[in-house]
Amino acid sequence: MEKVPAIEAKNISKTFHISEDSHNTVKHRLFNLFNPPRAKKVEAIKNMDFAVYKGECIGLLGRNGCGKSTLVRLLAGVYPTDTGQINIHGTTLLMNLGVGMSHQLTARENIYVSASVLGLKIKEIDNIFDKIVDFAELREFIDTKIKYFSSGMVARLGFSIAVNAGADIMFLDEIFAVGDMKFQEKAVKVFESSWIEGKTVILVSHSMDVIKKYCSRTAFMKNGSLVFFGETEEAIDMYVKDNHE
Amino acid sequence: MIFSVLGDWFSRSNKFERLWLLAKIEFKLRYYENKLGLFWALLKPLMDIVIYYTVFNVILNQQIPGFASYLFIGLILWNFFVESTTGTIQILNTKKYLYEYSNMNKLEIYIATLFSTTIGFFFNFLMFLLFYNFMEPASKGTDIYSLWIVPIFFNMFILSLGFSLILSNIYIIAKDINQVWQVLVQFLFFLSPIFYKLEIFTKALPSMTYANPVAGIIINARMVMIEGKTPHLKLLAFDLAYAFAFLILGLYLLNKLGSKAAEKL
Repeated sequence: MEKVPAIEAKNISKTFHISEDSHNTVKHRLFNLFNPPRAKKVEAIKNMDFAVYKGECIGLLGRNGCGKSTLVRLLAGVYPTDTGQINIHGTTLLMNLGVGMSHQLTARENIYVSASVLGLKIKEIDNIFDKIVDFAELREFIDTKIKYFSSGMVARLGFSIAVNAGADIMFLDEIFAVGDMKFQEKAVKVFESSWIEGKTVILVSHSMDVIKKYCSRTAFMKNGSLVFFGETEEAIDMYVKDNHE
Repeated sequence: MIFSVLGDWFSRSNKFERLWLLAKIEFKLRYYENKLGLFWALLKPLMDIVIYYTVFNVILNQQIPGFASYLFIGLILWNFFVESTTGTIQILNTKKYLYEYSNMNKLEIYIATLFSTTIGFFFNFLMFLLFYNFMEPASKGTDIYSLWIVPIFFNMFILSLGFSLILSNIYIIAKDINQVWQVLVQFLFFLSPIFYKLEIFTKALPSMTYANPVAGIIINARMVMIEGKTPHLKLLAFDLAYAFAFLILGLYLLNKLGSKAAEKL
């Protein structure tokens, strides 16, 4: 079967310019008007090329600060790259603790807005609305603004929207840490039954079991470089070795 | 770029639904959150009219026939411009939740917000029509020439969208634009023929009719709504060119600076 690309990244890199704001007082600012704060360069992603194909579940491994989250943001089209280009074929959803929601809106409004941003038509949202509400266990609070929700409730709602509405390409950053144990079990079940089939998934996790179970190919990153991209077992070995260095 | 964006919208019909959904929610947030609700949106131009009428017609005795209607149409167009620009300077910050988790086109956020301001303008315009046709003693009534208000408002919409894009994208690198724009907008207010007699305005500031795009739009709106004439076509063409030039600059900035909004804001 011919492989259809979902994401193609060519020669991409990303550097952050972080300014060290030492002029904290009005006096400092006035006396240093023409002396801007120093900027520090952080090479978050060093030159890399790769492709992710439709329907694949890709793992992303690496120690904290190695550039996983930046890479995910670049691939989701949230951050622009400094060099090279990324072709994204379809809608993307970057998900860590849920999807983006406004605290000024009610749960109902957030469901409609978020699902619409993910590419669904209003009729399609009407059809899955009850499923989202029941999955999040928030029926009683559906017309309450989410600023009154607990963090767990917000996370459950965000997760439920993402689970049921989904995007063509899903970026899951440690998502199995959402909610209590009962909710986590439900999340894993939905993940296995609906996402793993048909959707393109990029999974960021420190859990070797999760990566081993779901990912056909895995990338291993170190200090902003893509060290390896291929067999999951091999990537896990490299990651484990790196942790013991 | 504009055509590719528009083509993309047409091919994916859910974008129209999304624009309307976001506009409705924005409108609700703006007006339904307060005690006075939508009533305030209707009350505000009326209160402005009372203030300016008292100052310029009663105290300064400007002798403009149908001054209340003259003020009304000028003020609702001006208010649309101010709400669409001042009200959206921080839009990439306040609406971050819409684009920081997905590859949603940011231009949609602007258009939806301006749609919501257009709904407010629509109610104000309806009040103007009622006032002008039933309460204004000097009224000539609306006629076929009044339909010219559609392209004139379109002109105002594009101009406001252009300014909104420029200001909000500059905000990413210079937050001070908020304060600077407040001063500039006040200056622009006094450089527009909102409450002056047109003859006084053109005599004192002859170049402003063409140099200030808002002035041209207000002058043309009065010509079609109050004087029952065709608009000044050269002025309309000039203002449309202005609006599209600002829009192109705004889109350029959105592409250049706006793409970094998620990491900078």
